[in-house]
Amino acid sequence: MSAVGPTAGAGAVRPPRRGPTGGPAGEQIAVARSAQPSGVWGMALLLCSETMLFAGLIASYFYLDFRAQRWPPPGVAAPQVLDPSVLTAVLVASSLPIALAARRARAGELRATIAMIALAAVLQSGYLAFQVHQLAAELPALHPRGSAYASAYVALLGLHHAHVLLGVLLDLGLLFWLVARGLSDYRVTGVRAVALYWYVVNAIAVAVLLTELSPSL
Amino acid sequence: MATVLSPRARRHVELLDHAWRERRGLLGWLTTTDHKRIGLMYLFTSLAFFAAGGVEALLIRTQLIGPAQHLLTPEAYDELFTMHGITMIFLVVIPMTTGAFGNYLVPLMIGARDMAFPRMNAVSFWIFLGSGVFLYIALATGQAPNAGWFDYVPLASKQYDPGLNIDFYGYGLIFNGIASTATAINIIVTIFKLRAPGMSLNRMPLFCFAFLAAAFSLVFALPALTLATIFLELDRQLGFHFYDVAFGGDPLLWQNLFWIFGHPEVYIIILPAFGIATSIIPTFVHRRMVMFPLVALAELLVAFLGFGVWVHHMFAVGLATMVTVYFAAASLIIVIPSAIQIFAWITTILSGTPEFKTPLLWIVGFIVFFIVGGLSGITLAAIPFDQQVNASYYVVAHFHFVIFGGAVFPILGGMYYWFPKVSGRMYHERVGQLSFWLSFIGTWVTFFPMHLVGIDGMPRRIYTYTAASGWATLNALESVGAYVLAAGLLLVIANLAVSLLKGPRAGNDPWRGDTLEWATSSPPPPYNYAVVPTVSSAYPMWDRDDRERDAVRLDRGEGVLARGHETPASTVQDAEFDEVLAMPPHSLWPPLVGLALFVGFVMLLLAHFVIAAAVGGAAALLLLAWHAEAPREEAGAPVPGLGTPGEGAAT
Repeated sequence: MSAVGPTAGAGAVRPPRRGPTGGPAGEQIAVARSAQPSGVWGMALLLCSETMLFAGLIASYFYLDFRAQRWPPPGVAAPQVLDPSVLTAVLVASSLPIALAARRARAGELRATIAMIALAAVLQSGYLAFQVHQLAAELPALHPRGSAYASAYVALLGLHHAHVLLGVLLDLGLLFWLVARGLSDYRVTGVRAVALYWYVVNAIAVAVLLTELSPSL
Repeated sequence: MATVLSPRARRHVELLDHAWRERRGLLGWLTTTDHKRIGLMYLFTSLAFFAAGGVEALLIRTQLIGPAQHLLTPEAYDELFTMHGITMIFLVVIPMTTGAFGNYLVPLMIGARDMAFPRMNAVSFWIFLGSGVFLYIALATGQAPNAGWFDYVPLASKQYDPGLNIDFYGYGLIFNGIASTATAINIIVTIFKLRAPGMSLNRMPLFCFAFLAAAFSLVFALPALTLATIFLELDRQLGFHFYDVAFGGDPLLWQNLFWIFGHPEVYIIILPAFGIATSIIPTFVHRRMVMFPLVALAELLVAFLGFGVWVHHMFAVGLATMVTVYFAAASLIIVIPSAIQIFAWITTILSGTPEFKTPLLWIVGFIVFFIVGGLSGITLAAIPFDQQVNASYYVVAHFHFVIFGGAVFPILGGMYYWFPKVSGRMYHERVGQLSFWLSFIGTWVTFFPMHLVGIDGMPRRIYTYTAASGWATLNALESVGAYVLAAGLLLVIANLAVSLLKGPRAGNDPWRGDTLEWATSSPPPPYNYAVVPTVSSAYPMWDRDDRERDAVRLDRGEGVLARGHETPASTVQDAEFDEVLAMPPHSLWPPLVGLALFVGFVMLLLAHFVIAAAVGGAAALLLLAWHAEAPREEAGAPVPGLGTPGEGAAT
């Protein structure tokens, strides 16, 4: 067709040519297309922006670290390793039900999609609750008004927790409309976009963890 | 689309008119998702801010017209030059280029019927409007940002600037950044997904390459500014210490983060101008752009290299020589893609048969100013020289040549060029040329002497100077130049305003233009094209057989897609027909979300964090309700004239 070449753009993963007519209501789900839907592209670009935000944040953390005489400053304990590592492992593990949800959604299986998103949401909310609890417990000893270290530490964790909170809200919004209206191509794209959001936020969680723990490693 | 329609073709057009009928009146504008209406709202809003920024500039120049003037107090002067910078960058050039030109023209040029995310497009506009109002509330209440547009700490810290001034800056720019990011994502996805089948990437107009590059730069650059301002507000409102040396912070962190955004920002401003130039030149010299692939690559390369030069704004802060030398070298490399484009424009003009009508005059003016600004840029990349003239009027001269001459001139040329398309009427050519010459002379007289007073040691941002300094004559000349420039700009507006009412009818294609927007009526109908255009080169309007084929296809009802708000999507690289998208029609959610965010940012500004969180919750509920309106869906049935979705184009 054109002079550029035979490959179809971003269509790395080819969805089935014809939408399966599965699903409880027997709806037609996946539209035949070879490129990724706009919603997935939009989310991917938003995540580029968010990744840059965290890249800047982590770079700022180390910028201040390298300029400091002592990091953390005297009187502030180095962060403990075990709890945040276990929690992050739980968050990363929630990628699995999210991936399964995206897969089931494309196959038109509404119940399995809802169950997997709900499972992931439980894991992610549990992670968030524990993390916020821990941060709240640490704050009096750290108090971000005390040093640049505490400022960077709290901002790093706080901004990531905000992203997890946003992801949980996205899960809940999806669950609401899936329960109310069932699957459609529009909502399959929604599930895939939210799945992509979680993959990136979970990957960033690992980077944030390593940054956070760097004084103890 | 061409002259007279057959009864069958007319029936198809009537179906489309019905499917795309819009709400009338104020509610129609409030709830619109039409990219052209949103583009116009962006245009008029950014023109209003342009007027405000222009008045600020004239007040500054009037204050400096002679030594020891007292038109403005030092405090008012600080607020005015800060607001002038913020306004022109964040409320004029970015929204004018990506928001107005990008929104209106990108879908038309690629043969689409709307942007990829029409409702998000509307929300971008409302957020932009909200951020502009937010920043101007600051000026109206006498608390405008006052530490310069790059807002260096520690001057901008709570200790030295305790009022709300800097908080308006911090939250205003975070708020504004949301709109710009959303618009940039929308432009990228629109270009990737919605090009008319057949418009493979190598057939995409250079205008769209330039906007693609600018949009990518926005997506990757803005987070650094957002982060810097989040840190600033954490410092100011909650007592954090990112920038506070006494507690282990570092003011240079602000400078680094700001310029990691700030330098790509320069290319975000100038790239759309390159795109406008590459649209106007082929039309008025009646030939294709030379070196098409090189120019496209140069546009993308400029955007990419723009991320690697930020430290050249910081040569005077005392960084290690290794660091500054690296960034000086990187800054010089940008000369290469810039020169490729300049030589391509000049060669195209010289080897064609140029017709120096108003739009081309503005582009020639742009090339002249861009060369002068580029040359002074090269001098600033030389570290010892930069350290001498740093923070002097020499720098002010340099960036006004690049931003005013380099970005605003093509914007004005573009306004003349596309005026017949948008309004359906012709502007007055003689008055148009007069407005160009006044602005051209005004720009020279205003900004060129700034090089000289800068080298003579006049610092930027001083509110007055003494007679003994010897700067009075050149400053008076600059101020006179500013009035001439203002007269030229007023003449542009007057010409277009009068022509809007009284200009002769323009017809579809008054210039015999090269890109697709000239194929449709002026102004275009809500659905842009009655039939999805056939594309087989980067100059589709000069492929006469394709346009004739479109008329035949309309008659046969091929590729009309008149069942609803529909537009075809194609594959990213080769633009093979991929699916039919049902686009959402008007919606009330975007202005409501914009309003909620506005209230939320006001609450953040006033440090009412609980209320701000509650408003954020309300915005989340609005977004939930927003998704109740799902598009109508049909499985991929074959479309006459386009083929079967996902199996490549039939044409």
